[in-house]
Amino acid sequence: MISRPIKEGFRGVGRHWGMALSSAIAVTITLTIISIFLIFSWHLRTFTKSIEYSMKISVLVDEEFESAAEENRIRKEIEKIEGVKDVTFSSKEEEFKYYLEQYDDPAMREAMAPFGEENPMSDAYYVEVYDGDLIANISSEIRNIEGVSKVDYGGQTTVDMVSAMETIRRVGAIFVAALSILAIFLIQNTIKLTISARQDEITIMRNVGATNGFIRAPFVWEGMIIGFLGAIIPIALTFWGYTAIYERTQGVVFSSLFHLEKPMPFAAYVAGILAGVGIIVGYIGSWLSVTKYLRWKR
Amino acid sequence: MIECTHVYKKYKNGTNALYDINISVEQGEFIYIIGPTGSGKSTLIKLLDGEEVPTKGTAKVVGIDVGSLRASQVPIYRRNIGVVFQDYKLLPTKTVFENITYALEVIRMKKPQVRKRAKEVMGVVGLGEKGNAFPHELSGGQQQRVAIARAIANRPKVLIADEPTGNLDPGKSDEIMDLLERINQRYGTTILMVTHDLTLVNKHRKRTVVLEHGHIVADLAEGGYVRHDQ
Repeated sequence: MISRPIKEGFRGVGRHWGMALSSAIAVTITLTIISIFLIFSWHLRTFTKSIEYSMKISVLVDEEFESAAEENRIRKEIEKIEGVKDVTFSSKEEEFKYYLEQYDDPAMREAMAPFGEENPMSDAYYVEVYDGDLIANISSEIRNIEGVSKVDYGGQTTVDMVSAMETIRRVGAIFVAALSILAIFLIQNTIKLTISARQDEITIMRNVGATNGFIRAPFVWEGMIIGFLGAIIPIALTFWGYTAIYERTQGVVFSSLFHLEKPMPFAAYVAGILAGVGIIVGYIGSWLSVTKYLRWKR
Repeated sequence: MIECTHVYKKYKNGTNALYDINISVEQGEFIYIIGPTGSGKSTLIKLLDGEEVPTKGTAKVVGIDVGSLRASQVPIYRRNIGVVFQDYKLLPTKTVFENITYALEVIRMKKPQVRKRAKEVMGVVGLGEKGNAFPHELSGGQQQRVAIARAIANRPKVLIADEPTGNLDPGKSDEIMDLLERINQRYGTTILMVTHDLTLVNKHRKRTVVLEHGHIVADLAEGGYVRHDQ
């Protein structure tokens, strides 16, 4: 008996194809925008994560605390801080070597080398964190550890940028949610028009003994079919458009930090989400519309 | 089969539609409810098919106190009765066959049985060849036959017919009456028919209850002639 509502749902779409088409177009437009936002948002997320990953806190140790025991204590205290992923030690010699490597000009490196004898650098720790948002807090906690002379985390600008990208991503997610609600509203209204024209039918169905569930099922299937039909073009655009962008850019945009996901399976995941959103939007939209006409009182 | 005891109906707008209605209809009986417009005929039908609730009194059909049903129970109750309307109330997007099978699918009858039963009732109403036609392709008389076929498809014990000949010419009305009489005899279905067509009532004489301003003013036994002033 499960096949009856599905069959009826398809028939409903066929018999009221004009209404079905206008609902499907509403879904198509919304899902196309959602698709663009999903792809954009996903890449923003991976970009943010890769920046976050490359962000490290550098911790300089005070000269007076350069003994092995003290340094071990400082490492342990840093490791205890929540959100710390990894702590790497770098001796003052290594630091100086690294400092010299910053000079592209060999003459400059040569000129600076004698300063190594009275090494002005400090022993240091490089601290990786799990979440870029925590970097400022963790830095200030490290600053309070006895024996720490200086803490640096690549600048507030980077943190602000990561935070800005997070905000954009969150706004994007809200936008996608808002668009989904808009799609529900659009599909609900178009299906409502269809159903309102078929209100007599619903009354007749009830007259012959059909329960609300029995009446509702084909309408809900109709909504889901419309939702799915509306998702077809956005799905095709996602596959075709994303693959084309990937091939044209060779998967790299702006810099190597910002790379695109390979079209497969990424586009398939997005397509799956679009189909799912289309069907769910159709389901909710038709459920809401038909329920309005199923509220009988005696 | 139908038992109305001291039934009153007053609508929210203050209209008193029925006063102290007492009717008892036996199994297999064919009864007319007649009366002018506004006499309470439609309200009585609405009480019997569960659309309205009596203000006072009880209306029992096939042993069920219709007034005590919750709104959600009404569709289930309606599977026990068949209802035929003046305007046929067929599903316009479904064929004749589908209109009939819909009423059987509603009661979860098995598919092979649904087809068998639908074909049987289409034969009973004389529309065996019209299964694939849509309602708008049929005449009024044919549409009413489909409605009757649908109403009797699940073999209800009671058939309520609300002005079933109201939209038909006298010739077609006679045919519908013949059909209802055949159903009454063949299946023993209790039939309660509301009409204002006195010519028909006097031609196919049955027990006749006369309503006026919501009151029963006469309950005439089968065979009696109904005067136009009654």
